[in-house]
Amino acid sequence: MAILTVENLRVQFKTPYGAVYALRGIDLALAKGDILGLVGETGCGKSVTGRSIIRLLDENAQITDGKIIFEDNDLLQVDDAEMRRIRGNRIAMIFQDPAAALNPLFTIGQQINDVLRAHASEAREDRRNRIVELLASVGLPDPAQMVDVYPHQLSGGQQQRAMIAQSLAAEPDVIIADEPTTALDVTIQAQILDLLRKLQRERAISVILITHDLGIVAETCQHVVVLYAGRVVEQGSVAAIFADPQHPYTRGLLAALPRPGGRGADLKVIPGSVPSGLERIVGCAFAPRCEHVMERCRQQQPALAEMGSAHLSACFLHASAQYD
Amino acid sequence: MTDSLLIVRDLSMTFRRRSGLFGRRAQQINALSQVSFAIEAGETLGIVGESGCGKSTLARCLLRLLRPTGGSVRFDGVELLALGDEDMRRMRQQMQIVLQNPFSSLNPRLNGFDLIAEPLRTHTEMSRKEMTDRVASLLAEVGLSSEFMSRHPHQLSGGQAQRIALARALALNPAFLILDEPTSSLDVSVQAQIINLLFRLQRQRGLTYLFITHDLGVIQHISDRIAVMYLGRIVEETTSEEIFAHPQHPYTQALLSSTPVPDPASGGQRIILPGTAPSAANPPAGCAFHPRCSQVMEECRTLFPTPRATAPDHQVSCHLYDFAQYQRIAPTITIPEEERQQ
Repeated sequence: MAILTVENLRVQFKTPYGAVYALRGIDLALAKGDILGLVGETGCGKSVTGRSIIRLLDENAQITDGKIIFEDNDLLQVDDAEMRRIRGNRIAMIFQDPAAALNPLFTIGQQINDVLRAHASEAREDRRNRIVELLASVGLPDPAQMVDVYPHQLSGGQQQRAMIAQSLAAEPDVIIADEPTTALDVTIQAQILDLLRKLQRERAISVILITHDLGIVAETCQHVVVLYAGRVVEQGSVAAIFADPQHPYTRGLLAALPRPGGRGADLKVIPGSVPSGLERIVGCAFAPRCEHVMERCRQQQPALAEMGSAHLSACFLHASAQYD
Repeated sequence: MTDSLLIVRDLSMTFRRRSGLFGRRAQQINALSQVSFAIEAGETLGIVGESGCGKSTLARCLLRLLRPTGGSVRFDGVELLALGDEDMRRMRQQMQIVLQNPFSSLNPRLNGFDLIAEPLRTHTEMSRKEMTDRVASLLAEVGLSSEFMSRHPHQLSGGQAQRIALARALALNPAFLILDEPTSSLDVSVQAQIINLLFRLQRQRGLTYLFITHDLGVIQHISDRIAVMYLGRIVEETTSEEIFAHPQHPYTQALLSSTPVPDPASGGQRIILPGTAPSAANPPAGCAFHPRCSQVMEECRTLFPTPRATAPDHQVSCHLYDFAQYQRIAPTITIPEEERQQ
């Protein structure tokens, strides 16, 4: 059962150089209690998708088409007041760089208190206990003292825990985590991912985990959506996609990773680089970098085709492929 | 050890910082403590560790961009710490560095030609014509066309900018390159291109690399030997194969198991370290790792462990191996009769 669905989402940005087509028709579904990985390289539209869902796009962004269905409501249609009630309360976001996302002028306690005051009904004196409880639940040491601490007094990992505590304050159903561990060391990253899995298990929170790291997807997510140039190229269960990737881009990404035992051997390379978004793309966006490119790929855009149970891939190599 | 291009012995770097009102409180930060290693010519030594462990300070000390407070750095038989500034400047023709983010290390006002020609102007007497030919051949070597001579950094992708930085580092035909997280700011597909290029350059030019990274996947791919650093010290050092097959130090073991593996079927037991690395300004007594170590013993809290060999070519600084001279017994390999005769 999907708690959140995105249908044909199209977003463009107005820039001095012309329109940048960031999302060119994204479809995805987040199942209840699932961790869904959103993976792709720089500029593929991962963060824009996350920010569109919670309606925190920059001012020059324009959602030109699509639906974001959350509990029978299209989030693109609800008014700002209603969106404020949903944001934080039902859908919360965790950002990449906690040092930039937390306000340096206020204590951790004050910042979590803001969320509680806006969304929860507790009396002032109960709120402090609730904050201590939240800080304890994300594994911060001495939670009672942490309430009065400023962000700069915490390490990167602790700041990320504080931000997760803040996102949990109004007991959301969905958390969008945008590269939550990219700024952290691996041993701290392991702690934070462990915490995310624990929260998902114990509180039945559904998570969209945005990352560029396929290792994180393999170890943390149940389902994965692979994005390329603002479109979904492949999606399915993590088990299916890592065992049997279908799209040439997904295959290329997995083959480009250095693996144990392959020391000194040439890594498989995807030639060229990601398109800028400024040019209008005709046909399959991956065609210029694809080793299997055919004439058809340069003219038509492949639609997602069923590759197995709940495994979709958009490529004309597949016998069942249709154009979009 | 006669072939070693670089021999580092007991290298230490202590920063002094004044803090408090009017700087009345002096603080000492031991960024590097008794770091020792050697790199054979043509080899790659990987240095791995988390932020603040002293990886980049080490790179700067080797090039003497920082003056180490103790120890010895011998490069090609010359003691670098005894050289005068002018001799050191000449020596740097032989040792170059490529940094993590090319957009902050390349001057945005210079175009590709000037960026690559700058070291040639500083150190050689080339004519303009010679210089143009040299820049063109360097560009070709890193896989870029001569068109890139007129491009400025903002017109380059991350991968292209890193190639320019490499061409610039290679301009004076150095023997030794320090690569400080050269692929960390790049996407996976571009990272693979740069790693392949580094291999090719090493083969063609016989380069020696010191490769600094926090990414274990990359480091095991590129390194012959690996040294693991924690809070300014090397805690384990051995060959690339050995460290991944038999990690000995509890920190190395945790680091390896914390690294996400792109294979959902791997499902190994993860060691999750508690807490964070302590500050170098206020390191714990004894072994710096003891507050996070699951196997901590009494002596770890007071005594710093000296490096021990747990296998012929495997050094570990951990009290668990205090009595372990070659303790780990290598599996006996029996060669079948038919193969032996071949």
